[in-house]
Amino acid sequence: MNVARLGTVVRTELSHQLRRPLFIILLLITFLSVWGLSSGNVTIESGASQVGGQKAWVTSEFAVSQTLLLLMFLLYTFFISVGAGMGIIADEEARVGPILHTTPLTPREYVWGKFLAVLGAYGVALAALVLFLVFFHHVVPAGENAEYRGPLSWLNYVRPALFFGVPMLVFFAGTAFALGEGTRRPVLVYFLPVMMLFLCAFFLWSWSPGWLDPRVNRVLQALDPAGMRWLSETWVKVDRGVAFYNVERVGLDALFVFSRLGFIAVGLGGVAWSARHVARGLRGAPVRDVRGKTLADIPLATPEGVTREETPLSTLGMRAQSPEALSGLWVVARAELRGLLSQPGLYLFMPIILLQTVTQALSKVGPFDTPLLTSSGFFAVGTMGAASTLACLLLMFYTVESLERERASNFAPIHDASPVRTVSVLLGKALANSLVGVSLLVAAGLAGSLVQLSQGQVALSLWPYVLTWGLLLPTFFAWTCFVLAARAVAGGRFGAYGLALAALCLTGYAAVRGNLHWATNWPLWGAVLWSDMGPFEMDRSVLLLNRVGTLGLAAFFTALAVRLDGRRAADSVSLLERIRPGGLLRGAWRLSPWAVVPAVALLAAAVQVGQGWQGDAAKKRAKEYWQKNLATWLDAPQPSIQDVDLDVELDPKGRSLRTRGTYTLVNRHAKALPSFAFTGGDHWEDVRWTLDGKDVAPEDRSRLYVFKPETPLAPGAVVRVGFEFRGEFPKGMTKNGGKVSEFILPSGVVLTSFEPSFAPVVGFRDDIGVDKDENKYEPRVYPDDFYEGLTEAAYGMGTPFTTRIRVTGPAEYTLNSVGVLESDEVKDGRRVSVWRSDAPVSMFNIVAGRWTVLRGEGTSVFHHPEHVYNVEDMRRGLDASRRYYSEWFHPFPWKELKLSEFPGLATYAQGFATNITFSESIGFLARSTPEANAVLLITAHEAAHQWWGNMLIPGKGPGGAVLSEGTSHYSAMKLMEQLEGPRTRMEIAKRLEEHYAKERYVDGERALVKLDESREGDTTILYNKGGWVFWMLEDLMGRPAMHAGLQAFLQKYVGHEDHPVLQDFTAAMRPFAPDAAAYDAFVQQWFHEVHVPQYRLSNAQVKQEGGQWVATVTVENVGDGRMPVEVAAVKGERFAERKDAKTPDVQSPDYRDARARVVLGAGEKADVTVRADFPPERWVVDPDVRVLQLRREQAVVSL
Amino acid sequence: MLSLRNLVKVYPGPVSALRGVDLEIPRGMFGLLGPNGAGKSTLMKILAGLLEPTSGEVTLDGLDIVRHPEALRPHLGYLPQEFGFYPYLTGEAMLLYLLKLKGVTAPRGLKALVAELLERVNLTFAAKRKVKEYSGGMRQRLGIAQALAGNPKLIIVDEPTAGLDPEERLRFYRLLAEVANERTVLLSTHIVEDVAMLCPRFAVIRQGRVVAITSPTEAKAAIQGTIFEGTASNAELAELQRTRRVTQAVLFEGRNRVRIHSTGSDVPPGFERVTPTLEDAYLLLMKDTREAPATSQPTPGVEAAREVAR
Repeated sequence: MNVARLGTVVRTELSHQLRRPLFIILLLITFLSVWGLSSGNVTIESGASQVGGQKAWVTSEFAVSQTLLLLMFLLYTFFISVGAGMGIIADEEARVGPILHTTPLTPREYVWGKFLAVLGAYGVALAALVLFLVFFHHVVPAGENAEYRGPLSWLNYVRPALFFGVPMLVFFAGTAFALGEGTRRPVLVYFLPVMMLFLCAFFLWSWSPGWLDPRVNRVLQALDPAGMRWLSETWVKVDRGVAFYNVERVGLDALFVFSRLGFIAVGLGGVAWSARHVARGLRGAPVRDVRGKTLADIPLATPEGVTREETPLSTLGMRAQSPEALSGLWVVARAELRGLLSQPGLYLFMPIILLQTVTQALSKVGPFDTPLLTSSGFFAVGTMGAASTLACLLLMFYTVESLERERASNFAPIHDASPVRTVSVLLGKALANSLVGVSLLVAAGLAGSLVQLSQGQVALSLWPYVLTWGLLLPTFFAWTCFVLAARAVAGGRFGAYGLALAALCLTGYAAVRGNLHWATNWPLWGAVLWSDMGPFEMDRSVLLLNRVGTLGLAAFFTALAVRLDGRRAADSVSLLERIRPGGLLRGAWRLSPWAVVPAVALLAAAVQVGQGWQGDAAKKRAKEYWQKNLATWLDAPQPSIQDVDLDVELDPKGRSLRTRGTYTLVNRHAKALPSFAFTGGDHWEDVRWTLDGKDVAPEDRSRLYVFKPETPLAPGAVVRVGFEFRGEFPKGMTKNGGKVSEFILPSGVVLTSFEPSFAPVVGFRDDIGVDKDENKYEPRVYPDDFYEGLTEAAYGMGTPFTTRIRVTGPAEYTLNSVGVLESDEVKDGRRVSVWRSDAPVSMFNIVAGRWTVLRGEGTSVFHHPEHVYNVEDMRRGLDASRRYYSEWFHPFPWKELKLSEFPGLATYAQGFATNITFSESIGFLARSTPEANAVLLITAHEAAHQWWGNMLIPGKGPGGAVLSEGTSHYSAMKLMEQLEGPRTRMEIAKRLEEHYAKERYVDGERALVKLDESREGDTTILYNKGGWVFWMLEDLMGRPAMHAGLQAFLQKYVGHEDHPVLQDFTAAMRPFAPDAAAYDAFVQQWFHEVHVPQYRLSNAQVKQEGGQWVATVTVENVGDGRMPVEVAAVKGERFAERKDAKTPDVQSPDYRDARARVVLGAGEKADVTVRADFPPERWVVDPDVRVLQLRREQAVVSL
Repeated sequence: MLSLRNLVKVYPGPVSALRGVDLEIPRGMFGLLGPNGAGKSTLMKILAGLLEPTSGEVTLDGLDIVRHPEALRPHLGYLPQEFGFYPYLTGEAMLLYLLKLKGVTAPRGLKALVAELLERVNLTFAAKRKVKEYSGGMRQRLGIAQALAGNPKLIIVDEPTAGLDPEERLRFYRLLAEVANERTVLLSTHIVEDVAMLCPRFAVIRQGRVVAITSPTEAKAAIQGTIFEGTASNAELAELQRTRRVTQAVLFEGRNRVRIHSTGSDVPPGFERVTPTLEDAYLLLMKDTREAPATSQPTPGVEAAREVAR
């Protein structure tokens, strides 16, 4: 290799790379990104600022590493891939090869020179990134973010750049270079970083279940080109405290070093391969099949022309007529398709996209992360987001390259002079490329169908696919046409990419900020929800407008592209004329007919959104409600409901209702109430009120109806407030589709007393009119003794009341509410069902649908006729819940327990007294595995809310909700063990533990008694840790004492005006604890503090002594907390494999264990020895899954 | 009739490529001769509807093809100077695709027509080969086949014989001559011999202007008896170039074979009168226009061009 020639190539190419707009744009984006990120928002996982104390520095090596590798992966990999991968392709298109390769320049010098120049250019960019970071972290005034910034240490920047940045750059540059050189296909080059990003973001960086074998985890760490997984799993997920992360270096291990060297080697290897490939290419294609042949046997490449008598050309009878638009379109589309089919990238990327899309759809989980059955509609909707995003990226690359094909192959002069219409050419290309998106969907449909067939439960149906994915066709077509227009405007490949990516990013930004709505959501991101009970009912009209508008945009962009397409190169002088205001106006006027349809359709959609219940007008009214009433009514005392009498007429087809009713209110306060208030719904019309039977006009304070009786309501006094209204609910369309928690639709009705949807809510609602960006409250700070004295209820009325609810609806609907069914009549096609509470309730609801019912022992499951897969398990769960929870906790006071299904426009279940509601995707479509009966878990949890949440309403304040959700999880675990044996309970417990470990915020975790659900990560503590802690408490106290304590606790608080929180609970349980000291220690550790053990085994040995085996092991608690835990030497598998969740658990006869018990505090270790009369195969910590711990899978060691 | 009126093309820079071209091109073969950079290809691209002129008019049988380039395309056969094809298609598929794009029909169907056209350009043997495997000459012949397809009213061929061997060149000439009977064929070239062989009339373009419109016979007749040929040493050649009008000087076996133009009697010793060629006429014209640049046609300024554009 001649260094001088190599240097010449490097210098020339480097100079070119550094001046490219591509490079300048990268620097600009980097600068802006670093500026945006320098505000202290990027912190390592351990550095939740809510904890107080020292803040995690954005300048630490850990934080810089994360920032740097994220920025580089998001930005640099794409730019360097294009820079490196397109080098040889651009030379080929410029046809410089024949001249270059006839100079003394060797292929190696040429290839390495180009590669080193690209690498050098992006090395400069990396240096710029480091300098930008230093500048914004240390030079720009930090202001309020000063506490997030540590002192300048250059090593904090240089080391991440070297260890994470350089290997990434070399890898991407080298592989993209090899890909571009080897295939000469730009699309492959562009898609490489995109696919790597998806692979990393959705798999390598995020998929890390607790059960994952550490060896596999290490392999995945080594396979991550960014090093993010290694950083996260090795350093960040293991909490070492903010101080550690702020000052310590990122310690490298052999795995990381070798994997980085591996990536560098792969990158450089790609370049070396390219050099050989170029050299081979210059020698011409290898000739095969010549063995045994002589030259005479091999035909000439160009045989002698055969002279023959030729007839004049005129005898051929050729005629030409401009092809019609459609026939031209067909010709172009067919040729394009042929071209597309010859693209190897299509066969590479389609399966990857398919895999990504299908995996994402199939990995969607139900409540408590239970798996779901695959059904056509839910699968189709589940794939929409990923399919539209990835397909749009693919379409962008293929469309631009398709448009560039004529120019790149130099076919443009002939092609552009042909009479085929420009519109045919552009639309033909758009159509052919859109078919890529269609084929992606067809393939995804096949994959989904196969999964459905393999599950063998949900019947296969094609029309949900056709209906749902049919909605995406305008998106694909409009996007492709937009790309056509972008290229026509920009005039070239990179300009087109820039415009198209900018449009995509802008849409993504709007989506993330929550600013997308039906008039702007052209890709339908997050807008479409599926329900087997009636698809797209909520927003049907605005969805139609959106699709018409999107198709109209396709036509508009096509017209724009046709107008601007550079088939005839515009003259610069006349171009100046055209871009003058007058010229632009004339151009716009000519295009205006094409803008009519999209403008009208999208404007109409915008109007519908604006007038809808999530529109600006509604938002403004809600804000007015908040502004006008907050100060006066937030904590104003209100009378309590004593009785509810409602008459609700439902019109599901018209999405409306009419309510007449009466609340009997009583003043339970010690003082007279001069006034009281009700919150009304924004959808209410023709509202009338009465007070003790007389018409009144309360003060309407933006839907807070304030009553001022002539005489203040004395303590204990009763007043009857009557009301009447009608309305459409929800009013109008949503803003951008998505979930709706209450609704009246033909497919079903679900209404609750939490919202003023079908009945007034007593008092002021502090969540109405609150915008997270404008007037969100700070979490309320409660004093430590807040629970002393009377604590108000966390939700619902403080004291239970009686109800009589008369529901009228179409005859084919079943109309369910709380209590018992007093009467059910059908007259004139209308059903009238009257429900009366047979025991007081604290909340009420209405749910209606066209169902089939399965009845149990005092229980019923009302379900969509096709959703029969799990109803038997649900009935079983309800029956068992009634029976066992009544035995264990408190007698069930009501006669019936119903469970009703509603359309999956929201994913929740609510346990109103006697009337539980499940969204269709909860329970009804849950998929049980042989290890865990998901249906039973969900049903048992929701049924438990009859006790924990209805009979006992927790108090308002920190830790209160644990008495609702944690106790329900605990109840469900108990019930599952009762019904299905210990294995099911153990599997469920492990799953909850795994979710707790994965979703908790290490430094941000608060004790159960401090949990107020205001932070991310609180939910998993509330449910999973909460459930576990009650389970461990039962282990500590013993089952009889626990039951006795719980019964006493419920006895005390059911129906009581004081509502308990955890402090009340632990106080109530203490007298029942056999060992008060142990109980206190447990309560302190698990309720008042945050500790989690993590056990590690080492030095495991076994030796035979006589007829016995002596096994030893060292157990260490590398986590936190002190718990007695069993350690077992084990032989064989404990449970036999089960075919499905219904097969009874049987302990394997070959299973044996010998156990010892240790109590280890943080950092403590102990040697354990057991004698066994069997040869043990492994040591296991906590074989019965009784102690909550981290990384349970690592607390096993083979002997 | 193809008419060009005061055609101007200014590229960003600004640099002018055409400075007011006026031409009337009748039916039949018409040559466009000029040195490299004279503006021939720019003119060809404008005529083919691939480039918008800064100002001026072009009409084909009264049809304004500057304003309506799309109206010309069904009647156009175009062979550009540089072109390519989709590399992944076979020659046959490529030609078929182009025939469909042009809306060509034939009594025996398009596939038969493709076979016929490939036969005419001697590519039958390579019909099933992918275009990326074609040599330069083969690609040129495929280009010729597509340009002739569909009986176009106007055929524009820009340097068509580049890359063709003599045999193929003659075959192409024959094809062009045949089709030129019924339509206008505009042949742009800098190879004088092509014009001499094919074009009854031709225009010479230089520095963006038409400097002559003539026929090979007229051009040669105009210099009949004025061309002399002889040999000279390098020193003698230098003297001749200073004192005479040297049209050509070629070094052959160590001596310069020189042709000079002379109307008088002072012919250098050893020089003999020879039959003039079209090349002599062309070179003399170039020499004359270089020595006395034409100023009779004012060059429209950019402002004037903008007015025209308005």
